[in-house]
Amino acid sequence: MPPSLPILAEPTLFSLPEMLLFTALVFTSAWLFWRRFGPILGRILQSKKDPDFHLFPIGKRVWDFAWEVLLQARVIRERPLAGVAHALVFWSFCVFGLVTLNHCAVVFGLGFLDPAGRVGRLYFDFAAIFAVGCAVGILGLLVRRFLVRPKWLGELSWGSGLVALLIFALMATYLAAFFVTTPGGAVQALWWVHTITLLAFLPLIPHTKHLHLVLSPFTVFLSRGSFAHIPPLSGDEDFGLVAGKDLTRLVSLQAYSCVECGRCMEHCPANATGKELNPKEIVLGLRGYLNEFGPQSEEALLGKYESQRAAFECTTCGACEFQCPVGIEHVPILVGLRRGAVNTGTWENDYGSKLFLALERGSNALGMSAAERDKFVEKSALPIFDGTQEYCLWLGCMGAYDPRGRQIVLALVRVMRHLGASFGVLRKEKCTGDPVRRLGNDLLFQQLAEANLEALTQNRVKKIITICPHCVRTIQEDWKEFGTPPEVEHHSEFLARFASQLPSVRDEKKIVFHDPCYLGRYRNVYDEPRQVAALAGELVEAPRSHERSFCCGAGGGLAFLGEETGERVSHVRVEELVATGADVVAAACPFCNTMFQDALAARGDSAPELMDIAQIAARGLPEDGT
Amino acid sequence: MKIVVAIKQVPDRDAPVRIAADGKWIEERELQWAMNEPDAYALEEALQLKEKHGGEVIVLSAGPERVGSTIREALAKGADRAIHIVCDDLGAGAGGGLRNFDALGVARLLAEAIKPESPDLVLTGLQSEDLGLCQTGVILAELLGLPHATLILHVEKTDAGLKVKRELEEGWFQSIEMPLPAVLAMQSGGNKLRYATLMGIKRAKTKELRAVNAAELGVEAAPVATLEQISAPKKQKSTQMLGGSAKEAATALVEKLKTEARVL
Repeated sequence: MPPSLPILAEPTLFSLPEMLLFTALVFTSAWLFWRRFGPILGRILQSKKDPDFHLFPIGKRVWDFAWEVLLQARVIRERPLAGVAHALVFWSFCVFGLVTLNHCAVVFGLGFLDPAGRVGRLYFDFAAIFAVGCAVGILGLLVRRFLVRPKWLGELSWGSGLVALLIFALMATYLAAFFVTTPGGAVQALWWVHTITLLAFLPLIPHTKHLHLVLSPFTVFLSRGSFAHIPPLSGDEDFGLVAGKDLTRLVSLQAYSCVECGRCMEHCPANATGKELNPKEIVLGLRGYLNEFGPQSEEALLGKYESQRAAFECTTCGACEFQCPVGIEHVPILVGLRRGAVNTGTWENDYGSKLFLALERGSNALGMSAAERDKFVEKSALPIFDGTQEYCLWLGCMGAYDPRGRQIVLALVRVMRHLGASFGVLRKEKCTGDPVRRLGNDLLFQQLAEANLEALTQNRVKKIITICPHCVRTIQEDWKEFGTPPEVEHHSEFLARFASQLPSVRDEKKIVFHDPCYLGRYRNVYDEPRQVAALAGELVEAPRSHERSFCCGAGGGLAFLGEETGERVSHVRVEELVATGADVVAAACPFCNTMFQDALAARGDSAPELMDIAQIAARGLPEDGT
Repeated sequence: MKIVVAIKQVPDRDAPVRIAADGKWIEERELQWAMNEPDAYALEEALQLKEKHGGEVIVLSAGPERVGSTIREALAKGADRAIHIVCDDLGAGAGGGLRNFDALGVARLLAEAIKPESPDLVLTGLQSEDLGLCQTGVILAELLGLPHATLILHVEKTDAGLKVKRELEEGWFQSIEMPLPAVLAMQSGGNKLRYATLMGIKRAKTKELRAVNAAELGVEAAPVATLEQISAPKKQKSTQMLGGSAKEAATALVEKLKTEARVL
């Protein structure tokens, strides 16, 4: 070690009263921490067990933990500046674990890191670098919270300010000890200030959002395992999140883990368009409920702490869950609250009832007669699936009944014929149950899933292709609860595979592709539809794209629920897409398509052309499809 | 109030309807079944009356085993218990739908099942979606010796009995006060139907579902009406081109909408 490096000054001798005082302070601090944290832990552990939780396979958990917690990747990626500041604080805390242990051990003459020794000096200097980073980081966060004040951080929280000052004080006292050259009072004083700051910080943790320090590593590690996973109901008395007794351990753990950063709120399309829903308040509402009523209560969740109206404003776009840095899974919570209201019949909504009744008696969410689908299939001469074709072309409600959806299907059919892919449609098809699944009607969803699974088995379907990302998701993931669904693929994946065999029509158009939530965040498919869209010209990107894509407003069954309050989500999104200056808005979901159609029509003239990627792929083909 | 709701199971709207080989009824294999819509409104009215005034809603349905699913649906929506008149000859059968029980026969079965219950009110849909005879409810009232009213959209309980809103032709309504007990044949559309819930289905499992047959009710089949033949409606489409200027065509169109289509 070059002798020029500074050396940490550390008191060497402590009197007996000092030792006793230190011991008393440590116990007081630990007791104050536990007095608050113990009941919280109790409420989490007393919650219902999660019916489908499996620790294994553990590989993904370890990876998520390393990536999201240790490397802080999600925190940094979604908010780079604040994220790096936070990461500096976090990494410093990790490095300071050893420093703090040694700091306490020296009281009893048990210090294991010698500031003058080779290892000790190296480590203390190493920690000093982090201390500088941490001090800068926490000051930056303090400025952001109290001066910049982004609205998603909510009201000013003095607890957060106090904690930030304490962290700064910890770093300052640590660094100051490098500049004290003479042993004696100053060294002792710095040591005590550092110690008291530390012991004051500990009890503050469970009282403030800094509880995430303790809980969120567990929350990230113990996730449900897949994005927006809706857990199965268990037993005859489980109707979703009706009351406290229905909150599972994971839900309770997540409720207490919330760090109130507001990323969920910032990205929520409902919140951004002036609706009541704020995903952060949903999570904090559960925390408030647990604090007042506890995890075994019969008190309804939708009431004092949670609003039914807010729960039913969610489009299940999953932006909140995708953004959350502490592993909170908002979609199962929001769908859980809806399940509780719908499965017990307490949700009364004219549009919702109409949708449910249409699917109780009929086959599709649009409430049309099944004969309309028959006519479309017949008129378009779509082959009937007989088990010999490679693909079962799943029309879905939009593809079978909606005029624009039908055009998309016919475009895909032309491309499939051009490529020589064999396919057929089922004689009868029922809605996959996507809208009722997301709205929380488990009875109807089960009936639809079971009827469809039976029909697919009878028809010996091995592989499904469909134009609707909602159908893809529901068939592949949600139906698993009731059987083994066949392989399913979205048409963007199919088209991208054969993109080289499709004629590109280069007419110098600028194309903006809108990532549908159920294709992007839900299925992690971003490049394939772009590859197809690029057949028609030059791609431009919207400000919010890929995993940050902004919903069209149709998901979660909301396409069927009539007027929105506040601004329309679809209008906001369309403005953003139009502002890119694109000539073509490319969609890959019939629901996005219909929402944008209306929003573009409402804008009036000079609207860009709206096309599905199947229509883009089919553009260069001769009209007869050969 | 003790309310009995008589419900019929009919072929689902989306089900493929084909005429059976003998031409006397439809082919029942591969059909999906559903609750007759006016009966669903009768059930909804009964449930709302119970929610307002208390009491009990009893569902009554005659038909083969398959009717059980519709009965369970009614229990799931909130009916308290059910009586199933197990009756295989209702519906198709080899020789036609009404071979053994015509509307009079069905009404006799229902009446015998209702009598021991002595309800305050009997509700049923005004007609079935398959046969559309509009007879069962009124014959039932006669057999029970109770006053009845048909085409009812809304029911209000008063101190003296009932006040009901009855639909007449061309957007006219009639308000009637009548005593209890009574039989009402309900029109569709008066209420908003409720959706079936998971909790309802689970609770329905524990509700009483009593099965009786025609012999136990002491009813013998003695049809006075028989169904000879059914046929699909002949599709007719005619297009008329209205010539002349836009103004002339519009005038002609308005005239035709007024006098021929009678929609204006």
